[in-house]
Amino acid sequence: MQRGDAHGNPDLGKAIVAEHLNKIFQVTKGTFRRSKTQVVAVKDVSFEVDYGELFGLLGPNGAGKTTTIKLLTTMLIPTSGDATVLGHNIKKDVTKIRQRIGIVLGGERGLYTRVSAVDNLRYFADLYGVPKNVRDKRIRELLEFMGLWERAHDRVETYSKGMKQRLHLARGLINDPELIFLDEPTIGLDPEIARDTRKMIEDLVKKGKTILLTTHYMFEADELCKRVAVIRNGEIAALDTPSGLKKYVKDACVVEVEGFGITDKEVAKFKEIPDVLSVSADLAENKQVLKIQTPKGSEIISEVQQILKDSRIYDIKIKEPTLEDAYLRLVES
Amino acid sequence: MSQSLRVVYSAFRMAMLHWMADPQWVIPNIIAPFVFTTVALTLFKDSTGPFGLYAVLGGGMMGMWGNTLYSSGFAIEFEKWQGTLEEVMAAPSKLIHVIAGRSVSNALFGLTNMIAVLLIAAAGFRVSLDIANPVMFSVALILTLISVSALGLIFASSFVLSRSAQALTNGLETPLYIVSGSMFPIALLPFWVHPAAYILGPTWGIDAIRLATSPDYASQSFWVGMDPSAAIILDIIVMVAITLVYTAVAIVLFKAVEKRARIKGTLVQA
Repeated sequence: MQRGDAHGNPDLGKAIVAEHLNKIFQVTKGTFRRSKTQVVAVKDVSFEVDYGELFGLLGPNGAGKTTTIKLLTTMLIPTSGDATVLGHNIKKDVTKIRQRIGIVLGGERGLYTRVSAVDNLRYFADLYGVPKNVRDKRIRELLEFMGLWERAHDRVETYSKGMKQRLHLARGLINDPELIFLDEPTIGLDPEIARDTRKMIEDLVKKGKTILLTTHYMFEADELCKRVAVIRNGEIAALDTPSGLKKYVKDACVVEVEGFGITDKEVAKFKEIPDVLSVSADLAENKQVLKIQTPKGSEIISEVQQILKDSRIYDIKIKEPTLEDAYLRLVES
Repeated sequence: MSQSLRVVYSAFRMAMLHWMADPQWVIPNIIAPFVFTTVALTLFKDSTGPFGLYAVLGGGMMGMWGNTLYSSGFAIEFEKWQGTLEEVMAAPSKLIHVIAGRSVSNALFGLTNMIAVLLIAAAGFRVSLDIANPVMFSVALILTLISVSALGLIFASSFVLSRSAQALTNGLETPLYIVSGSMFPIALLPFWVHPAAYILGPTWGIDAIRLATSPDYASQSFWVGMDPSAAIILDIIVMVAITLVYTAVAIVLFKAVEKRARIKGTLVQA
């Protein structure tokens, strides 16, 4: 694998080095009385990614994951801070970086749906300057790898969501990139297709690719990533191995309440209790699941029952915190 | 083939594939020229001389002009609709090469537009299509198409940043058509419009096309009193020079808007 700069610039030994990246967008508000406000999308983000590593950027929607990817892939220029990708500077070496990386932004859009998968890949192969003598062979290999070869000449508009996602991945690999940026590659996919996609990502790492993956699924980061940066409001809240992130919740246990009819007002009341570190509410099948992180453990149960006196409670359990709890704590605190 | 030309060709090919996949091309390429030709021939039906052919050329130019200009501007909008603009802009190739490829394909559609008008006029309205200098007519026509495409490239750059750029091309289509003298000689327009006409490459192209069509037009040409062949060459030289300026301006604009998009994140919000 080629490392560093083809022109003899020093190899930094890291696939990605981000140093104090900031991105501020100007947003205009109002129709007649226009005013400009600043939105900080990424704030003082620094991290490094090793060659061959699968690194995860984990965070809720709007946390700044995609903006970070766009900064590193040269699609955006940082307001301040700097970064090197494969030894190239993101501000100065735009073309060199783009030639050596792959980007998969995901979703159902981003493909030419009126033409075939082969035509999509051929087009992007030309845009990336893939040598003509390897182009067609690589297109076939990629479509076979993604299990799309039998439908290769069908219009993309006839593909299922999962097939489109696999075609996105194939497109991101068309230039045989050393480093691949995957932005929420499993979002919106059904569990089976999401599992297949994760398997493909693992296979890419086995092939020696470096991957930066964004996701808001803790279990996905846990399953795939060697290290994870949890990003919250544009800032890195924690950076560790998935199991290392557990230390952020070692001081607490989780009171899990299964019930029905729990209102937002009641959830907010829990947040006011001293020693409650985080509260999350989710829907699971036909019930609501409330997770309250607190060092008080079973001592809080009477307060739970008091707050939820107007709702139906099915069960209350005291649990050891999981990685997902660590994530929730980090993004909510 | 250099990488730049390869990207232009690939974008051209992709546009052609979409064109073939979408039967809506019939509207701008067959139905619209038919309407233009009918209107033009009705307007000029009582005139003497080669006005029938002028009218046909005017109608054809109008269709070609609108088709090429609209489509060139639309090239960016098309990428936005498909959600592919970010992917295309993230590639190492230059966006202007991609749009140039699409513009060339649009120019070709424009040519089919003109051919459709000529065929409809000849078959449906029995207009004589005698062209005095077919070689120079063809050269002038193709260069005019390229000039319109280059102007389309300038408009296309605005689409990278603006969601309402479509209004710009829609609003300018008719004024540009009138100012360039597509339907009637520029001499009929107020004098203050003339400078605007002279900086439009297609204005000179239309002059060359009309001169190549009939020497009778020489009295209304920009080069009154000059030998028609020499006048055509002068028209072409001026048009090529203006087209080169358009291309240079488009390159600068694309560089500027790409940088602006990377700073302001306009594409992210598109």
